[in-house]
Amino acid sequence: MSYAFFPGCSLEGTAWDFLKSTKAVARKLGIKMPEIEDWICCGSTPAHQSDPLLSLALPAKNLLAAKGETVAVCCAACYSRLKTANHEISSDQLLRKRVADVVGADYDGQTPVAHFLEILVNDFGVGKIAEAVTKPLKGLKVVSYYGCLLSRPPGVTKFDDPENPMLMDRVLKAAGAEVIDWPHKTECCGAGYGITDVSIVKQLSREILGMAKAAGADAIATACPLCQLNLDLRQGAIEEAAGEQFDLPVFYFTQLLGLALGVERKSLGLKSMIVSPKELLDSRGIGV
Amino acid sequence: MTNNTNSEDRPRISVASKRIMDFAEEVNERSHANLMACLQCKKCTSGCPVAARADLRAHEMVRMVQLGQRDQVLQSRMIWECTSCQTCATRCPQGVSIAAMNDTLRMMSREAETTFAETTQPVFNDIFLRSIRRRGRVYELGLMAAYKFRTMRLLEDVDKAPTMLIKRKLKLLPKNVRGRAERKRIFARARKAREQT
Repeated sequence: MSYAFFPGCSLEGTAWDFLKSTKAVARKLGIKMPEIEDWICCGSTPAHQSDPLLSLALPAKNLLAAKGETVAVCCAACYSRLKTANHEISSDQLLRKRVADVVGADYDGQTPVAHFLEILVNDFGVGKIAEAVTKPLKGLKVVSYYGCLLSRPPGVTKFDDPENPMLMDRVLKAAGAEVIDWPHKTECCGAGYGITDVSIVKQLSREILGMAKAAGADAIATACPLCQLNLDLRQGAIEEAAGEQFDLPVFYFTQLLGLALGVERKSLGLKSMIVSPKELLDSRGIGV
Repeated sequence: MTNNTNSEDRPRISVASKRIMDFAEEVNERSHANLMACLQCKKCTSGCPVAARADLRAHEMVRMVQLGQRDQVLQSRMIWECTSCQTCATRCPQGVSIAAMNDTLRMMSREAETTFAETTQPVFNDIFLRSIRRRGRVYELGLMAAYKFRTMRLLEDVDKAPTMLIKRKLKLLPKNVRGRAERKRIFARARKAREQT
């Protein structure tokens, strides 16, 4: 199994632990994901808020560089932008031409894009994941938090059920965790407003943390660098303002899967987590 | 246009209603949002994460665009509070892409220079895109520094910086991807195409 990997900017910075744990999991499972050479930023929110053509041209340039191979993505925002570009370019010939004029090369919108969760479940298979698990996450109660951009809009991403996605739940169940059902799987955490209007992030992330706690979770699993950062970095300030204690470590699903596959804690970047998972993992005897 | 009893065959529309149509049509054409299909069922607002704090709610925005209330819409705080979470567009029974409409309103608000005064999102967007053009990728530490100086929000969140550095979440040095000249051409061509339409 081989994919052209598009890490995205966050995975080189704030989400370096997502990159490290993804690579560790891929190595364990024998999934090859060499990086696309000289990939550039997908444009993210600033591009689609500012310039519709540029917001398609930047993904198109990267997708052309994949030379037809299926592109593997971890960041939910990159995933959304690459999928949107494919959707719009492949369904509108005039737009395809206009994007080609900007990029300087024609892109047909046909290069497949898959999130790492889709690769694990749809291509690799949860049965094979369960077989590869050597240290099941016994007794770890976790909620899967998907955020906005993996499953929405469903006509564009075709990821999973937009209201009740299950891909991460299935991966974590295969890893031996006790996955708790909860209603906030796809609620918004405030996303990019972490920089320009923190009040939005604090309000929305508080709802998510509160619901995870009420559902009885020990930890939250995420699949998006912005979700992870908002729920983890802001948790202390949210607790202070709300007068509540959450103590919820916020993992990337790849970190939890890595632990179940027998990867050492230090090889999964767990030290980068601001709400430390050490006590929780020690008490459940998970990871070394 | 006050003559309501005109003798000509073709229907006449007033200057006022023409202005209404112009705004709604422009938004619709640029966003492909299909916004005239809105039934005001409020399903969008019911699921909108910022509805409780917004000055205008999603279904109200759509109605106001339909009614040509250009200034109120383009000056609203809501267009800069929307998190682009796509819940509205996902749930709309009429297939109205409210999130896409909002992106268009953001651009029109900047073009008309009527952007809600307290938002710093446009500044952030510009710095972010410049970072892509120059380096190819976003250099988070440089982005934060530039944003803080441009907005003079120098002290906001500075307490987070040491934690971010210890946790290695902020890289000290930027990475530059090859092909800056080509990126500059892409950005220039996109800009030219935008100005022509």
